[in-house]
Amino acid sequence: MLLRCYDQAVAPHQVAAIAGQEDPVQPESHQDWANREYIEVFTSSIKKIADFLNSFDMSCHSRLATLNKKLTALERRIEYIEARVTKGKTLT
Amino acid sequence: MPLVTRNIEPRHLCRQTLPSVRSELECVTNITLANVIRQLGSLSKYAEDIVGELFTQANTFASRVSSLAERVDRLQVKVTQLDPKEEEVSLQGINTRKAFRSSTIQDQKLFDRNSLPVPVLETYNTCDTPPPLNNLTPYRDDGKEALKFYTDPSYFFDLWKEKMLQDTKDIMKEKRKHRKEKKDNPNRGNVNPRKIKTRKEEWEKMKMGQEFVESKEKLGPSGYPPTLVYQNGSIGSVENVDGNSYPPPPLSDSTSPPSPSFSEDSLPPPPAEFSCPADGNQRGPGLAGPKRSSVVSPSHPPPAPPLGSPPGSKPGFAPPPAPPPPPPMMGIPPPPPPGGFGSPGTPPPPSPPSFPPHPDFAAPPPPPPPPAADYPTLPPPPLSHSGGGGAPPPPPPPPPPGPPPLPFSGTESLSVAPPLSDATKPKSSLPPVSDARSDLLSAIRQGFQLRRVEEQQEQEKRDVVGNDVATILSRRIAVEYSDSEDDSSEFDEDDWSD
Repeated sequence: MLLRCYDQAVAPHQVAAIAGQEDPVQPESHQDWANREYIEVFTSSIKKIADFLNSFDMSCHSRLATLNKKLTALERRIEYIEARVTKGKTLT
Repeated sequence: MPLVTRNIEPRHLCRQTLPSVRSELECVTNITLANVIRQLGSLSKYAEDIVGELFTQANTFASRVSSLAERVDRLQVKVTQLDPKEEEVSLQGINTRKAFRSSTIQDQKLFDRNSLPVPVLETYNTCDTPPPLNNLTPYRDDGKEALKFYTDPSYFFDLWKEKMLQDTKDIMKEKRKHRKEKKDNPNRGNVNPRKIKTRKEEWEKMKMGQEFVESKEKLGPSGYPPTLVYQNGSIGSVENVDGNSYPPPPLSDSTSPPSPSFSEDSLPPPPAEFSCPADGNQRGPGLAGPKRSSVVSPSHPPPAPPLGSPPGSKPGFAPPPAPPPPPPMMGIPPPPPPGGFGSPGTPPPPSPPSFPPHPDFAAPPPPPPPPAADYPTLPPPPLSHSGGGGAPPPPPPPPPPGPPPLPFSGTESLSVAPPLSDATKPKSSLPPVSDARSDLLSAIRQGFQLRRVEEQQEQEKRDVVGNDVATILSRRIAVEYSDSEDDSSEFDEDDWSD
């Protein structure tokens, strides 16, 4: 973060600052720090949401894949049973 | 590293040039906040996408589950209605019933453009399209798409397909040869005893210590005992050599008793037995019994190195040779063509532009000379020929002005001419030249022409039959592991028309 020289007229509320303290831009930088912290909270929350989404996605995919595997196995078994049962009847 | 499928858009919040305002800090803050809002927007878009995908998947599963539940209910009803007295018990019934085959649907084309997830597709669409080289296609003589020389997504699949088809052909030819030999040699009962012995020989080998096992396999094609570095690092020389690798050397010459020539005292006479069978198996030239002595005296150096080296390496696979011949064995006989494909194939497709033409004349190269000799010479000639990939490699020297082909071999030229006119290949200058040569050559060329037309037909057939990985692979595996006598006749024509 670069410190810039602010070319501006000293506002009245800063006169007191000048009188009392060394740094005329201190309130501004304080405010800036506060803003940055605020923004940092936002961005870290966004990252958390993104992480959550990723892990949610992965876990859902893995669960759905397990389900898929079970479903396929069930389907095959049912097919076999149907064949056993049906043939037994139709050829009599 | 995982592939980034969804990229949240404004990547950098405040890396941009500031407009000139009085309060820059506030300006930066405001810009950053605005970018944060944009990021939230793209995040929500991606979240909706993710959840949507999961939702569709879950929906398909739900429908499958419901259909399964219905089937189970129906089955339940049926089973309760089943009456054991009605069961068919007759033998005929067992035989006439259709066997149960579960539906083995293989998933194919998993990583296809259609199955690409939407965000990745969007990323892909932001890329530049390749240049419109296909506009040049009408100007090509060989009828190939011009864009394929720049970028060909189906290149590797085509390569693999050609290799598989070639392998199936080779396997069938070999099988036919074996069958012919079987018919020719009624004494083929020896094959089985030999195979039985190999295991014994393996145990014999091992009995003497693991370090001597390598000795048989490490023999060079010279038949001379090379110095070996055994598995445990000790160096030794093998002199019991042989004829292992060389069954072709005539039996009569190599009847010297095996034992004296063994310099390895630790290996008793049994090596004589097992050195023979190891190769007898693979070559199977109908040599009878253990007489074929393993030990060829050094006076019979390698009969044929190219022939020798495959059998020489085969003892390495001998260990259980009886079970299905491992694919490497099948891979060994046609090493040159895949080698020819493989090595030039690895550079990016643009560089060997002649290779897409290869599938067209993979078969036509004259049968006796190994095709390997042809391929390295290929890249220059196709480029030099005006016809593009049409000219075959066997040095079609620039045709000496084809003088009187007609008087030379009238009938042959006549018969050559029609196929010529039919097969619109840029070989038009060649047949007149070949007719000017000997009768044999013209006959060969004629066979050439004929085969080329057949080749086209075969290719058309192949295109129609099945262009997917599963069918091709299944066909190849079926050919490799089947011992069927009834081959398809189409390949027979290939053999006999040579």
